[in-house]
Amino acid sequence: MERNVEELLKQNLTSSYENNKVMVQSILPDHADLVTREFFFHEEKNIAIVCFYFDGLVKSDLISSVIDSFIYQAPRLLKDIDLTTLYKKLPEKINKHILHAHNVKQVTKIQDIIDGILSGDTVFIIDKCDQAILVSTRGWNERSVSEPQAEQVVIGPRDGFTENLRTNTALVRRRIRDPLFSIKSTTVGKRTKTTINIAFLEGTVKEGLVEEVMNRINKIEIDGVIDSGYITELIEDSPFSPFTTVQSTERPDKVAASILEGRVAIFVDNSPFVLIVPAYFWQFLQASDDYYSKYLTGSFFRIIRYFAFIISLVLTSVYVMLISFHQEMIPTALALTIASGRDVTPFPVLLEALIMETSFELMREAGLRMPKPVGQAVSIVGSLVIGQAAVQAGLISPFMVIIVAITGIASFVIPNYAASYSIRLIRFPLLIASGMLGLLGFSVVFALIAIHALSLRSFGESYLSPASPFQPSDQKDSFFRMPWWKMERLPSLAAGKGRSANIQKPKANENED
Amino acid sequence: MQKVRISNGMFMALIINMVYAKAIGLTQGSIAREVGGDMWISTFFSSIQGCLMMLLTIYVIRQSPESNILGQSELLLGKWFGKIISLILFLFFVGAAGAVYTTFVYHLKDYFLPEAPTIIFVIAGFIIAVFALYHGIEVIGRMALIGVFSILMLNILIIFGSIRDFDIRELMPLFQYGVLPDLWASRHNNTDWAMATMMAAVILPMVKEKNTWKRSGALGIVLGGAFVIIWPILETGVLTAEVAGQYIVSCMQMARSAQIGLFFHRYEMIMIAFFSLSALTQIIMTFFCAAVSIQNLIGMKSHKPAILPASLILSGFGYWVVLDHHRAIDYIETYWVTLAMSIAIGIPLMVLVLGFIFRKKLKQSKSASM
Amino acid sequence: MAAKFKICVLVCVLILILSGCKTGKRELNDLALVMAVGLDKGSSEGLIKVTTQIARPSDARGQTGAPSGQTGDPIWSASAEGETIFQAIRNLSTFSSRRVFWAHNLIIVINEKLAKEGIREIIDFFTRNPELRMRTWVAVTPNKASEVVSTVTGLEVVPGEALDKLFRYTPISVQAPRTQILDLQASYLSESTEPILARLRLVNRGVSNKKPGQEGGYKQVELAGAGVFKGDKLVGTLKPFEVRSVLPFLEAMDTGMLILHCPDDKQKKITVELRNQKFKVIPSFKNNKPAFTVSYQTDGSVVEAACPFSLEERAKVDAIEREMEQEKKKEFEKLVRRAQKELNSDFLELGKVFHNRYPVEWRRIHSQWETIFPTVEIKVKTMAKVKDTVLLKNQTKSGRINK
Repeated sequence: MERNVEELLKQNLTSSYENNKVMVQSILPDHADLVTREFFFHEEKNIAIVCFYFDGLVKSDLISSVIDSFIYQAPRLLKDIDLTTLYKKLPEKINKHILHAHNVKQVTKIQDIIDGILSGDTVFIIDKCDQAILVSTRGWNERSVSEPQAEQVVIGPRDGFTENLRTNTALVRRRIRDPLFSIKSTTVGKRTKTTINIAFLEGTVKEGLVEEVMNRINKIEIDGVIDSGYITELIEDSPFSPFTTVQSTERPDKVAASILEGRVAIFVDNSPFVLIVPAYFWQFLQASDDYYSKYLTGSFFRIIRYFAFIISLVLTSVYVMLISFHQEMIPTALALTIASGRDVTPFPVLLEALIMETSFELMREAGLRMPKPVGQAVSIVGSLVIGQAAVQAGLISPFMVIIVAITGIASFVIPNYAASYSIRLIRFPLLIASGMLGLLGFSVVFALIAIHALSLRSFGESYLSPASPFQPSDQKDSFFRMPWWKMERLPSLAAGKGRSANIQKPKANENED
Repeated sequence: MQKVRISNGMFMALIINMVYAKAIGLTQGSIAREVGGDMWISTFFSSIQGCLMMLLTIYVIRQSPESNILGQSELLLGKWFGKIISLILFLFFVGAAGAVYTTFVYHLKDYFLPEAPTIIFVIAGFIIAVFALYHGIEVIGRMALIGVFSILMLNILIIFGSIRDFDIRELMPLFQYGVLPDLWASRHNNTDWAMATMMAAVILPMVKEKNTWKRSGALGIVLGGAFVIIWPILETGVLTAEVAGQYIVSCMQMARSAQIGLFFHRYEMIMIAFFSLSALTQIIMTFFCAAVSIQNLIGMKSHKPAILPASLILSGFGYWVVLDHHRAIDYIETYWVTLAMSIAIGIPLMVLVLGFIFRKKLKQSKSASM
Repeated sequence: MAAKFKICVLVCVLILILSGCKTGKRELNDLALVMAVGLDKGSSEGLIKVTTQIARPSDARGQTGAPSGQTGDPIWSASAEGETIFQAIRNLSTFSSRRVFWAHNLIIVINEKLAKEGIREIIDFFTRNPELRMRTWVAVTPNKASEVVSTVTGLEVVPGEALDKLFRYTPISVQAPRTQILDLQASYLSESTEPILARLRLVNRGVSNKKPGQEGGYKQVELAGAGVFKGDKLVGTLKPFEVRSVLPFLEAMDTGMLILHCPDDKQKKITVELRNQKFKVIPSFKNNKPAFTVSYQTDGSVVEAACPFSLEERAKVDAIEREMEQEKKKEFEKLVRRAQKELNSDFLELGKVFHNRYPVEWRRIHSQWETIFPTVEIKVKTMAKVKDTVLLKNQTKSGRINK
């Protein structure tokens, strides 16, 4: 038998208590965790009330106190009221005069009632009333705010987002106490009805950006959104690209800083990863530490990271290319050393590189999925097998081990996990092309990737900006990080002007004698 | 459809890329064979001439800034005249493809992959050009910015690598072959500038700031000239003019003998990787202009359908030229010079004169468009 | 549309890459890396013999772990003959198990008998081939080039590397010009300058470690002297002490030394290291003939004295300075005379110097430069100053006073 839930949901409450009760129960029949509590709150008039909630989604002491209020406070209210007019005004009166819960709504639609119950509210259906009272009693066990796992910093705040949407928005609002900082809400997912919040700074955000984000999110039709990764894929500009054009982060400070620069943050319920759009490619190479440590150190480590990016992208390809095509480019002494290492290796260098890259990915993946203590064992065994045994057995040349290891380490330097994935991906075509066609293959594939990256846009912004198209005003925070007293303006993405007053450069008081 | 615009910076970058690759590679050899140690003086003369040519082109386009040289000639003397000009321009870019492909292929093939078949290089250029063309002029403009960056890196690397062996005595005496021969030899480099000015004639209306066209055009030429002139100076100082004249691609010989200190040498692959980005931009832009010419010739609304045929024709011609070293060099040093110079100077001048005669027509179209 | 197009491009690239067409792919360990090459006359007239010194990587470099190596010599030398160099090299590959690869060649050694007959094809071949580099050292040798190339020499494992380092650090011995194929090509192509090449010799210098008595028991390669060319033919050789006065004409030189007589005791010697040498050739044009003035200035520092010497004794210092000037002047004049009269070869780049200064006049005489060069007047001016005695201030003499 098919239940016609859709049909039922469209209806409104009637004044028949039994009918209302049955309606809710037939929409949510036999749900093991649904609690139905019926009680009377007026001994003389015997007004019945039934409340529904899902066990585990609610704070039960909150419900007790609501019931408390009904039973002990309501009779006083009802003393001199005529029963005929009573039922019309009752919900309002109860709402305004009795309940001291913080969030109480009067609802008439079955849809609202069911949505409320499903998201952890408690509904109170009162005898003979065509309005029900929805009390927010949400409260469940959740992970507390803890240090983000994927993006660690040495200097800087240690709190990270949790799975709770409100906690997350609060973490950001605590950082931006500005009336212009606004958060809009919407729901996505036919079944999961996931709440999505869009946060931005009014006046600083570029005109039309918020609408664009809203449009894209509202267009989504999907049964469920489990993590913000779903949203990323559904709102991306170029779905076929290996590059991610949406930044996701676990760090509230990063989100706050992005919002201050005129970007838009997308919070997805049940996901500790918050999305930031538009995203520039270079951002993925910037860590929060850059901004919190002194600008010289920050700039230095940032340059190291750019360097690591280049290494992780091209080092293996260049090595393969050198060994199999352009041996004259290797300094003589090095060429002899490499040749002596490769003398017994049975595989061509391209195959060797592919084997090593694959086994490296294997080890990384294995170490990741295993429980932590086992994961360490995996990496120890793996490094022994690959680093020592394979070389001693003459399967792999020692130089290849070094190359792959350096490439691996360099790819770990990239602070954003998603970006480091995409770099890993585009490394392989580059590797195969340079192994097959040498410098020509390398430059062809590199140029193709470059053209593709140049054509990318993220919510209307060029992905490779501010390097190309070159934006002189944004260079203060791209390759180097200029000191804060130098960055007087917001990036050109933002609509607003100033960040600080003109001259902020600290100066010792010269007049002091 | 929104009209695609590129910024003035991109325009400058395109000019630099358009001139650089061939000017440092093949052109210097041709000049060295004629005037020996005066090759850098010739290059310098050529930059001045290039600047004048660019200013002329910009002046011509400014007569009616909404349309490129093809549209303008159509405006002046009717549809058929416009088509003839388009055809001539298309022929120009076909010719340019020969020179550009020669540069690209001889650099990569002769020094890095001597055993690979030529066709692979042509196909590689073709694929990248078509891929970029479908993304439109803006992406190409951005790529040109990266091209400029790589040109800068390349120049820095070569300066560091050769300054130690630089012998100023080789540059002396000035004008050893006389001023006139130097001037005459500059025609080889002028063909490179011709590619840049013709490209400007086609894409100028897409450039954002009309008022600063002249400044960006001239600045582009000056920067391009500065980037290029380093090479003949170093080539004479390090290799000597005689050696530079020996080779088809003399800049590669210098890149190969560059060494920073005693132990950092053999790094020409890094340089050539930078170089190929710039050379590819040159190929892409040549294809783009050819596609636009075809568009005007046939009268299509968009240049996209013209991309494939134009690229095929250009690649085919390029392949034919490149296949035979003698043919390639002969073509570049004689036929291409005649073709390029007559078109690059002749057509803007003609349109300029016609513009003076039919000034009314241009004014009408201006007011009509407003 | 866009997606389909991108897939098309991807497929094209893949076809291009994976088509397996011949692209000249070869792995580093399939190559025989040539470290040095020697060129001799062949066994019969008209043949040329090419000897290559090829590194055996697994023995040239100790390898960790892998089961190989340490069984043989670090190099493998082989020679082949042919009518041309290219044919000889092709003949090499008939018995070389790996492809002969030239890009790491460090030095080209040419036998003097061959060089006397002309080295045009050598210059041509070694500058034409893309595998060969312009920074390769070139030298002539009176011995068999094949022997020079196959002799284990120096402290390096691979003799080619030893020769390379010999060339790199020659500024300290100042006895041979550092000639690369680039210089050879440039001077050969130039209308005024003639080539000069460094000279290698096999000498019995090695001391056997196992039998200390056998001094000079085995051969070592010595880099000293130079071979002078006219056109592409070797016309003469310069002794090491002559080379030290050639070097200032070719390149700035950093150091040098001079052995002088003690002012009081002509039997004893004083050694002076030359520092801050300044050298200049000033051309002039008189009576329709070019003339040159060679001016040379140097500072001396006394590095070894067999007789008491200190800077306080001005008379002695003066005497030494005069002797330095005389010595140097004699050296230069002898060299110039030799270049002009005996060798008749402008390897000193005098024509170039004149050309730079007097381009118009050079136009007039350049076709007869060969006949003019032996007759041009060359004056030498020298100046020397002794300015320091390194660390010591006082004379080195015995504490007991001889009466």
